[in-house]
Parts: sequence; C-alpha cells; structure tokens
Amino acid sequence: MDSDAVLQGLGVCVSRDRRTDGDWAEIGDLDVRAMTRELTKAGARWVTMTVTPAGNSFRLIYHWDMDGRLLNVATTLTGPGKESIADLLPAAEWVEREMHDYYALEFFGRDETPALMLRPGDEPGLFSRTQELGRDGDPAEYEGPAGDGTATGPGQAASSEGAVA
Amino acid sequence: MSPVIPVGPYHPALEEPYKISLDCEGETIRGADIEVGFNFRAIEWLAERKNYTQAMTLVERVCGICSNVHTLTFSRAVETLAGLEVPERARYIRVIVAEAERLHSHLLWAGVACELIGFQTLFMTCLALREEVMDVLEAISGNRVNYAMNRPGGVNRDIIDPARVLAAARRIRTATERQLIPVLTTDRTVRARCAGVGVLTREEALALGALGPTARASGLAQDIRKAAPYEVYDRLDFEVPVLTDGDVFARVVVRALEIVQSCRIIEQAVDAMPAGPWQHVDFPRVPAGEACARIEGPRGEVFYYLASDGSDVPARVRIRTPTFQNMPTVVPMVRGMSLADAPLIQASIDPCYSCTDR
Repeated sequence: MDSDAVLQGLGVCVSRDRRTDGDWAEIGDLDVRAMTRELTKAGARWVTMTVTPAGNSFRLIYHWDMDGRLLNVATTLTGPGKESIADLLPAAEWVEREMHDYYALEFFGRDETPALMLRPGDEPGLFSRTQELGRDGDPAEYEGPAGDGTATGPGQAASSEGAVA
Repeated sequence: MSPVIPVGPYHPALEEPYKISLDCEGETIRGADIEVGFNFRAIEWLAERKNYTQAMTLVERVCGICSNVHTLTFSRAVETLAGLEVPERARYIRVIVAEAERLHSHLLWAGVACELIGFQTLFMTCLALREEVMDVLEAISGNRVNYAMNRPGGVNRDIIDPARVLAAARRIRTATERQLIPVLTTDRTVRARCAGVGVLTREEALALGALGPTARASGLAQDIRKAAPYEVYDRLDFEVPVLTDGDVFARVVVRALEIVQSCRIIEQAVDAMPAGPWQHVDFPRVPAGEACARIEGPRGEVFYYLASDGSDVPARVRIRTPTFQNMPTVVPMVRGMSLADAPLIQASIDPCYSCTDR
C-alpha cells in the first residue's frame, strides 16, 4: 500500500516525515471524508484520532494502520470543527463524541453528538475549560467557565453548541 | 410497543459500570444502546499535569487487569522521543511479563465465561490455573496486579528465578491443551450456550474497528506482535489463532488457543534471555516532539500518543484502549438474540470498563 498515492489530493501537504513510529503527514485543510474513503478503499485499518491544543485552535491527528505501519495524518483546524467521518466509518463514532466531550469540537454532518464520557446535559469541552487549572488544579472543584461561553481555544470556554468561529 | 430493558449501570456478570438498553420484542433483542463513562477519571488530563515518573504510575492504573501493557506502551513512546535503546535482557523480560499478563487475563475471562455458561467445575479449573500465573507475577514483581515492571529504558527489576517461570508456563500449557481446550471445544453445554450466539461478521468487525481476540474470532488476522513486532517478538516462534465463525464460541476458542501460544512465547523467551543489564539508571530527558506507540494487549491493540514540550511534564497523552473500540460491537452481536444470552454476549468481548472510562 502506498500512502503517498493515497494522500495526494486530500489537501496541501505541509510536511511529510517517515519516522520509527510510523509515517506522518501534515495536511492543510484536510478533506477528512476523502481521506477516509481512500484509505479504507486501500485497506487501511482505523486506529483512532488524537486532538491536541495548537495555539488558539486544535490539531487533529487521524491514526491509521497500513499493513502494520502507522500512518498519522494531521491537520490544524481553521474553524470550530471538522466534517464527521462516522457515517463512512462507524469505528470513528465514539471517538468523535469523546473529543466533543473533551474539547467541544464540532463534527459536522452528525445528527447529534451525545455525551460519551460526560453525563447527558454536561457542558462539553471539559479539557478546554479546565486547561487554566494547570498542574495543581482539581477539576472536581471546577465551578464553571470563566469566559463568555463563546470562545473555542484551549483554556477558554465553549458554548453548549460547541464553538463559534 | 416493544419494551426497552435497561441493564446496568452495573454489568450483571462483571459488576462493573456500564449500561445497555435492550429493545426487545418478546424474548428477542431487536436493538441496543450502550452508555459508558460512569467512572470517567480523565486520566489523559491528569497525565498532562504530572511529571513522567508520576505519569508512569498513573497510566498503570488505567486498567486493573492489563496494567502492565499501559506502562509498556507509555515507556515505548518515551523511548521513541528520547531515542533510548532498551537493553536486550530487559526486552525479553518485557515480553515474559506481557505474556504472563495475557495468560492471567485470558484465564480470568475463561473462568468468568464458564460461570456465565453455568459450568462451575471449569470455572474452578481456570481460576486454579490463573493462580499459577499470579504467583509467578508476584514472585517477579512482589505484586499480583500493578507490577511496576516497566520504565523508559528498561525494566525496574530482573527476573531472578526464570526456572520457576518456565515451569509454570509448561504446567499451564499442558493443562490448557489436555483439559481446558478439549472440554471447551467438545462439551455440549458450552456449545449449546456459545455456538451461533452473538455473531459479529468480518465486515461488521472491520467497520467497527474491532481489535484483539474479538477481531480474530471474526476472521481478521490482526496482531501487532506480528504486524509491527516490538521488543523481541520477531525472534520468537508463535501463531496467531484466527477463526471465522464470529460467535461467542469462536471468541472462547481463540482465547484458549492464545493461552497455549503465550506459554510457548514465555518458554522460548526464558530460554533465550541473555545475561546483562536490564535498565538505564537515569530517567531520560524527554525532548520536544511527538511519538506514538502500540502494543498487543490481552484485549487487543493499545495505542498511546505522547507529545512533549521538553519539560518534565507530558504536553499531551492520548490513550486508546481496545475495549473502547470493541464495546460498540456488542450492538450487532445481540441483535436477534435471546434476552437470556445478552450477559454472555457482552462478556464475550472481555470488556474492561476501567480501560474504557479511563
């Protein structure tokens, strides 16, 4: 399986790196649905998704297994979320809900994004909201967002509908 | 109107937090909805606020059964970032402990499954065999769970009595081959309760990203120990059992066959383990960067992503456990099945709610 061929046409390749822990690609404005279609067609196996804070935005890394080699496709968000791939790949259904819980990210195209780790009715974005607590903070003592409830970046509050660009 | 039967949030067999709502028509299950997160601990969040030594101890608490696999995966991610070589003896010790952990996990699960099937005698056999493994792990590490064996750059202690490990592996292999597998594969009660029950097709397993024995019982030949060998697995002769029926029976048999393979791995590793150092004395400085690591745990692939900003605290720790991926496979498994079979079908993925909720 040639991951280079698959990754072509999915967006602007910012960087490409072959490391001991797998292949890494950074793609601007990544077309995640095309990526999912092409990689599953090529026989890649879904591993998971990682979200990392990146300045005032977030970086999404989609991890795939291609014949035993890890392929990590990353993109930095320019808006409040990314298109959902859960309808194309049910394996991604829970992780989208989980990342919504942690960072209040929106996955567009879903009918709903119910809480997975949080309880129904809990404000999503737990990790983002409590980022300000730092190393000595206790999330159990967290009393609510300090901001106006509309910002999206790490350490800022998010509305229950997610983030507003 | 069909009744929806809520089961949980405590599992009827495993006494762990998890809820499944079964949409029934008479005794037949038509659909299911799963809820998790009842014991959500935000371990990823916590790990990003502790230094690497503290984080090692923390990730060992992700799971109470496969605790070792989490420190091993985390250590390997740190080693990748720090460019750290692990001494040869430590790599063998890691494999021996990892396979012993697989043994006690699979034997515990087999015992629980036997109890659910209604086969108390075989439950006792499984638990007695498991005690052999637990004694070995206690002799190696001083503890029956949370062995604290791994550290970046090696292991925390040597195996000082390899002959005892070898003897236990041989006894377990013999008992599994002569008692456990023949009974599990030929007994009428086991077949009646398990064969054709809770089927997960190969296509469903692929679409839902099933892992480990759950995937391998549905025809997916995936195992990180073979596909992307780590430590010394590429030097050891072992097979990855794969069955195609996708039912509870296939999941029972795959794990029983894996017990034999784990014993074979331990026997070879003990024989081939060289003398020499087994750790770097100093904890490494972790440079800025990011790395991933994967290990084949008892329930399937464990995945860690680690990002460092060069400080002594991880910038991001992402943990994907196998049960997180396997849990949704219960929905197609129970569809069309009898309500009475639901507890066994749920248990057949060997779920770990502690791992899932992290």
